[in-house]
Amino acid sequence: MLDVALVLASTGCWFAGALISAVPRAPERLATGLGLLGSLLALGAALHLLLGGAVSGLDFRVWGFPARLELDALSAAFLLPLHLVGGLGLIYGQRYWPLQLAWGSGRSLRFFYGLLVAAMTLLFLARHGLVFLVAWELMAVSAFFLVGTEHEKPEVRRASWVYLACTHTGTLLLTAMVILMAQRSGGLLWTVLPTATSPWFEGGILLLAVAGFGFKMGVLPLHFWLPSAHASAPSHVSAILSAVMLKTGIYGILRVSSLLPDIPRGVGGMLLALGALTALYGVGNALAQRDYKRLLAYSSIENLGIIAMGVGLGWTGRATHDPWLMALGFGGAVFHVWNHAVFKSLLFYGAGALLHATGTRDMEALGGLARRMPRTALTVFPAVLAVAALPPFNAFLSEWFLYRGLFASLGRGYPWSSALGLVALALVGGMAAVAFARFFGTLFLGSPRSGLVDHAHDPAASMLLPMAVLAGLCLAVGLGAFLLLPLLDRVIAAMAPGTPWPPALLAVGLRVDLRLLAGVELGLLALVGVGLAWLHRQADAPEADLPTWDCGYAAPVARAQYTGSSFADAWAPVQPGLRARRPRFRGLFPGGASFRQAFRDPVGEVFLEPRVVRVAERLLRFRRFQQGHLPVYLLYVLLTLLGTFLWMLLRGRLLG
Amino acid sequence: MLQFLLHGLTVLLLPPLLPGLIAKTKALMAGRQGPPVLQLYYDLAKLARKQAVFSRTTTWVFLAGPVGGVAAGLVASCLVPFGHTPAPVSFEGDVILFAYLFGLARFLTILSALDTGSSFEGMGAAREATFSALAEPALFLGFAALAKATSSLSLSTMLAFPGSLTARFTGPLILILAGWVIVYLAENSRIPVDDPNTHLELTMIHEVMVLDHSGRPFALVLYGASLKLLVLGTLILTPALPRAPHAWQNWLAFYAALAGLAVAVGVVESSMARFRMTKVPQFLVAGVLATAFAFLLMLV
Repeated sequence: MLDVALVLASTGCWFAGALISAVPRAPERLATGLGLLGSLLALGAALHLLLGGAVSGLDFRVWGFPARLELDALSAAFLLPLHLVGGLGLIYGQRYWPLQLAWGSGRSLRFFYGLLVAAMTLLFLARHGLVFLVAWELMAVSAFFLVGTEHEKPEVRRASWVYLACTHTGTLLLTAMVILMAQRSGGLLWTVLPTATSPWFEGGILLLAVAGFGFKMGVLPLHFWLPSAHASAPSHVSAILSAVMLKTGIYGILRVSSLLPDIPRGVGGMLLALGALTALYGVGNALAQRDYKRLLAYSSIENLGIIAMGVGLGWTGRATHDPWLMALGFGGAVFHVWNHAVFKSLLFYGAGALLHATGTRDMEALGGLARRMPRTALTVFPAVLAVAALPPFNAFLSEWFLYRGLFASLGRGYPWSSALGLVALALVGGMAAVAFARFFGTLFLGSPRSGLVDHAHDPAASMLLPMAVLAGLCLAVGLGAFLLLPLLDRVIAAMAPGTPWPPALLAVGLRVDLRLLAGVELGLLALVGVGLAWLHRQADAPEADLPTWDCGYAAPVARAQYTGSSFADAWAPVQPGLRARRPRFRGLFPGGASFRQAFRDPVGEVFLEPRVVRVAERLLRFRRFQQGHLPVYLLYVLLTLLGTFLWMLLRGRLLG
Repeated sequence: MLQFLLHGLTVLLLPPLLPGLIAKTKALMAGRQGPPVLQLYYDLAKLARKQAVFSRTTTWVFLAGPVGGVAAGLVASCLVPFGHTPAPVSFEGDVILFAYLFGLARFLTILSALDTGSSFEGMGAAREATFSALAEPALFLGFAALAKATSSLSLSTMLAFPGSLTARFTGPLILILAGWVIVYLAENSRIPVDDPNTHLELTMIHEVMVLDHSGRPFALVLYGASLKLLVLGTLILTPALPRAPHAWQNWLAFYAALAGLAVAVGVVESSMARFRMTKVPQFLVAGVLATAFAFLLMLV
């Protein structure tokens, strides 16, 4: 009872903070303070629950029907990243998007940011179909306004409209799913359903869930809204969109599947394969991006694919009553949700700092920023290693869970899906390393590629502090993962309430392994320290101002550097959206040459866009109904009423 | 305890011998005298005393490559069994850590190459990133096949098991080792993937990435490369070695096999030329296919 009340109070704080900041000349400190208080309350409640507190719920009535809010381990697992990133984003946003900007978007940004966090908090508590859908819509609409913060730019307007269309298509599917579930359980209240009736029914609910929530998760054909929306939004908004809002899709499928008495076989394998394809597709396209925020967005698609692989593995485990497989799959998925929230929001904050300092999102115009923004470079560095899943940082651990799960399922008779998953995970890791070597190398290393870099400097302390906190978390989670095992066990237990199974599976099964792993990682850090000390003992000679030797090349120019595009050039065959026009050389003395390259998303921009445009042109015919005169609309209302009336009268006769 | 001490000493002292052996083999095959076998030890001692030169473009990332490479290599060496002597540290899933530690070393090397802002080094970094991402699946598919065969995820169990060479596993094992030899040549930048002795920067992969390192950082780079030669070599040798009853025999067999591997690499380098850069991915895919086929054989 106490925990759920705390979380409700946190929703209230965020909502109040949002309302206050909407007022002209609002006291910003008060609004920020309320939001931070809300985050602390929710974090405290979630941690208390995950560390062993009891599940607490609140029953009330909506229009006479029973409804319920409940805080269980699964909700708490998603509240943690939400309020961590939400609170840090509030601090970051103060200087990143000052309230006193000339065009006055600061107020609406703060209002909808608070509303988004409040709506998502409510979403994670809802145990009632209608409450869930209302919270879902509130979240979707506030995210629409956040994406469209800079609505004076046409590409931003476009991105936010595409997002709105996608999220509403998803909501339509979810409404169908909620109705189907209500049919099954005889009410909108979400309780664990009794024994299974037919696999078709459960399979139908799961398919609708994957399709509806898939728009949020960005699984393969439904991802196309995501890159431009993330690139257009202010950076701390992109951070919370990527770190938490995409995860509401994961939360949704986990929540719905936890209500079902049984998971049909085969659905898990399908989701695993879908996740693997999504991950490969995301990372392949991340390699091709010039816009560094779009690159991060494609990398989010990749990571959501990895999480979906974990969920698929967990479903397979549940369908076959294999607790160990289920624990590794669900555990890996939830752990990766946390880790991705930490490192991706750090990367987006870093991207925001770059955007703030240079004003461009084009990687090829930057370079050498590590010399001009040393603190930003140092704090972003752990996230870059983490996103490539390299030890000793956090994401390596969650991928390690998934590798363990895939290898375990290899031994238990699902060789094909696990073989696909293994190869995909290994390839994705390698390609993510290439993509983020390119990201860090092009932005921070080398020499500047344009004058935009000249006046770049580190951002204010209030922007650096959230980044430093997240960077510390990347390393701390990487080293202390064994401390999180009991928390993950609680979450896994909440995901399969019906099945009898031994408690503390992960804590018993992985504790020794993870401790040894942490020991090895500490050894690595110690060796790095020794190596650096050995190098520094000698560096007492005066530092000469020397150019890069570069094989004795006398006049190095920044333009001759490898660009981001040339770095990833060898991968062009696996980048489905990249179109390049290469020069052709003929004869011994060829003339001038030019090279062009452009990226268009293969699903959204190449396939869907022309078709949608064509349909929209056909639909223009209906425009004549939209006269803009009030009497005409009144006529429509009257006609509709008459039609309904006639239908009521004749229904009995027509249907017999 | 003594075993672990020997393991540590081998890792710390032996690696620079391997490039010397390779170079000597190549020289003898070409009818030259060649540098002494211990040349790399002399080089390292000299470099450790030299002053390092840093360009004005570089930052702390420039040092991360050499230091991270050696640290990751040393830590990874604790996870592999040398011959049939078990590794000092082993747990379920250490094989994944092993593979990702090399990934870490590579990633840091690539970043420190990009830090110089030189186009040559950027070129090398791009090539290294591409080729190693292609070599990664071969390594993992080999691990997957071994894991399936031994139902274990610990290198000490996975690699030591096939010493008994059950008939069913002989075919897949040969395929895995063939795939891993390709990975070995690529990861250590040997002919036919890369030529460590080439004089033209445009054709280099690994060497061109460390052009700007000097003094102690360069000593770390050279030592790290020889360490990789040892640790990845162990991966290939251990499954192929027969098990001996006594520990000292195992060690002796291991050292002999290591020397044999170095000589074999030297023979390969003497007898063929480097591939054209466009053919290298095909060569690496051949390695992936060999291990994938081994994996399939284990599944059916």
